[in-house]
Amino acid sequence: MTASPPVIRLRGAGRRFGSHHAVADVDLTVYAGERVAVLGTSGAGKSTLLSMLNGSLSATSGEVEVLGANLANLSPSRLRAIQRRIGTVSQRLDLVNQVRVLHNVNAGRLGRWGSIRALAALAWPRADPTVTEALRRVGLPWAVHERTERLSGGERQRVAIARLLVQEPDLVVADEPVASLDPTRAAGILELLGVPGRPVTVVVSLHQPELARRHCTRAIGLRGGRLVFDLPVEHLDDRVLADLYTLT
Amino acid sequence: MTLQVDAPSEPSPAATAQAYRVTGRTVAARRIVGLLLVAVPLVWSWRQAMPDGSDVVNRSGLSLVADLFASMLHPQLSTEFLAVVLNAMVVTLVFAVLGTAGALAVGLAGGIVLSDAAWHSRPPRAVRALRLLIRSLLVAARSVHELVWALLFVSVLGLDPLAAVLAIAVPFGAQTAKIFGETLDGIPPGPLLTLRNAGARPIAALCYGLFPPAAPLLLSYTFYRFECAIRSAVVLGVVGLGGLGQELVVSLQSRNWDEVWTLVWAVLLLSAVVDLWNSRLRRDLAVVTCADWSGGQDAGARRSSRAEDRNARPATSRWARASAVVAVPGLLLAWLASEVSLSGLSSPRTRDLTVRLLDEMWPPALPNGGWPALAEAIPDTVAIAVLAMAVAVIITLVIGPWAGRARHGSFDERAHPTRHIPRKVAWWAARAVLLVLRSIPPTVWAVIALLALFPGVLPGALALGLYTGGILGRLVAEAWESVDTRPRDALRAIGTRGWLASVATIVPPSAHHLLTYTLYRFEICIRDTAVVGVVGAAGLGRLIAENLAAFRWPAVTTLLVASFALSVGSEAVGRRLRRALQGSAGEGRNRSGRARPPTSTTGGR
Repeated sequence: MTASPPVIRLRGAGRRFGSHHAVADVDLTVYAGERVAVLGTSGAGKSTLLSMLNGSLSATSGEVEVLGANLANLSPSRLRAIQRRIGTVSQRLDLVNQVRVLHNVNAGRLGRWGSIRALAALAWPRADPTVTEALRRVGLPWAVHERTERLSGGERQRVAIARLLVQEPDLVVADEPVASLDPTRAAGILELLGVPGRPVTVVVSLHQPELARRHCTRAIGLRGGRLVFDLPVEHLDDRVLADLYTLT
Repeated sequence: MTLQVDAPSEPSPAATAQAYRVTGRTVAARRIVGLLLVAVPLVWSWRQAMPDGSDVVNRSGLSLVADLFASMLHPQLSTEFLAVVLNAMVVTLVFAVLGTAGALAVGLAGGIVLSDAAWHSRPPRAVRALRLLIRSLLVAARSVHELVWALLFVSVLGLDPLAAVLAIAVPFGAQTAKIFGETLDGIPPGPLLTLRNAGARPIAALCYGLFPPAAPLLLSYTFYRFECAIRSAVVLGVVGLGGLGQELVVSLQSRNWDEVWTLVWAVLLLSAVVDLWNSRLRRDLAVVTCADWSGGQDAGARRSSRAEDRNARPATSRWARASAVVAVPGLLLAWLASEVSLSGLSSPRTRDLTVRLLDEMWPPALPNGGWPALAEAIPDTVAIAVLAMAVAVIITLVIGPWAGRARHGSFDERAHPTRHIPRKVAWWAARAVLLVLRSIPPTVWAVIALLALFPGVLPGALALGLYTGGILGRLVAEAWESVDTRPRDALRAIGTRGWLASVATIVPPSAHHLLTYTLYRFEICIRDTAVVGVVGAAGLGRLIAENLAAFRWPAVTTLLVASFALSVGSEAVGRRLRRALQGSAGEGRNRSGRARPPTSTTGGR
């Protein structure tokens, strides 16, 4: 597996907002199948780093290479082709509440669909096996034709995961996907992030080191936008964490 | 957000060491500036309206006004005339329906072009230049009043119903485009960004991530526009395009008071039905009030946040479904009934006239009377607008408080159902008065005012003020309904007397609403002076109508440019003032926020 090219390669990558360096000088290489937890206090640059990984923010310095392509100066259609293979989940879910669950799940496939097909699916909603299977796996087989806003918070969270599942991404970028969930739910969601049978790479920012230990293979720590550690989770001990969460 | 930003911040123990951010002296200075900003224009306008030594009241006309009101309850009810009225109602309705449909088409296309949210990243330079061009064309289209558009179209198309439809569709379309653009920008961007990040194609991303959340708001605004279109369609009759407005002016000028009243009742009936149906629909669709649609800058955010916490579901609302079912056949029916055909647009005669018109409009020239005439018309226009706003604010202060639905305690209401009956009667009465004021076109008010007053600033201001009062009163009343009453309840809970608690907590935000909407309506008032000018009040509108009637096209160009400059200027001043009112804490709108990583947009309700 180490022979295959890395999924993510950052070289001195940084992002600046005005004079504020949200992320600075990060070197990071992630190989297929790794599950990387990003730890750090609020404002440490976790969200910015993840946005750089899925192409929604460009780096202001250094290089960001994802799935074999340098994300800087890609043409829009080339960028879309890469982004199609990157799944994004966030705490805010970003579902369209006004439409049926089916459409929110289908939204994961829009990258592969042509515009006509996408519009047709919006006009004549039909649940095909892919959608039904995804919803079955997240435990919401009954919700296909439900309006999304009628679901509870936890159910909507699972719809967002179903959307991720139909996208069949090679890389999953998850920004605090479980921040507002109870421990059992959180574990369930983190289980679902990895698709069994495929070497999906996951980069997930977390607030609970405990979850990182249980669900990830590797942990990186950010403080003030800089990488302060990069360890296998087994080496994630109290001293490292105390260092990370000490406010200076 | 409220005026309370002016109040000296209470010295919290930690802050006493630091200097006050706002001192008592700044507060006093701001108050004096504010007072001057209100008083100086008012005094100046009053002097403009009352030139020394000339008569204002036309004594011989007073009896005519008395006659008019005497026949209020004796409308002309002969079958013949009723048939005329019914026909005129249909014509007005058809103009409004087709005009709204046209405005919707322009608005959708323009709204997508103007919205920042609809564009992926920074578009290429050519696209940006095109957007700027479209934006400025829409601003220009918006700044010319429907009535002036109608006059222009009539001179090219003749008295074709198409002229009326276009006269509504063009300026309304431009306004709709602006609001649609703002609405799309106000939708939380998260879902759309997620779709784009997953590699969705631009059009598919918009259809899945942006339009569904915006749809109830866009639909609700379209119906609000339809309501405005009814009023405009009545006004357009004045230039001879038919419908209730034309019949009204004819009957007024021939002094058939009984006919006037039949027509007035017809206008009121039509507006009341559309008004009630609409407000019901708006409540079901998105809990958006008219006030939300008229607030200008800050309204976008409020609109979408309101829509966020709505309880109503468009899919389940019988009203919304019925309206959707009615809309399409209604449109077709209106199209068939109107005999509007687009062939008028491409006929050789139209082309000929358009070419000649454009040819003659350039180069511009001064109207008869030269610079002095222009220099007189512009201050007159401003004075009409200022005094009209004064009238409107007085109406709002007197009637508005009754027209706001009291929200204190549905609990209370259930316990003592009878105690609230007088309050309810007052509510209906106040709403009815406001409806009457805004349904009767300002042109008609002006014709009535001109019976008793000599032409000049005053009749124009009075007419426009009555009409604007009807609109402002409703806007402000609706905004007042949405004022948060919890602070008042909190004060009551600690034993403050009821009225005192209300004054302390309800008045400051309400005053803020009144000020904001007054400023906003003032900008529209400047534009609306055209309407009262056409029947001979004063100002630029009167000059435009006179020069159009005499086919002095070069002068018309100059006057259009002058009124354009005036409305752009007043809009700029208004925007500046409103921003100052919001205080420096006012949000810098999402344009800058969009560049940053999306932080919690749904968190703040």
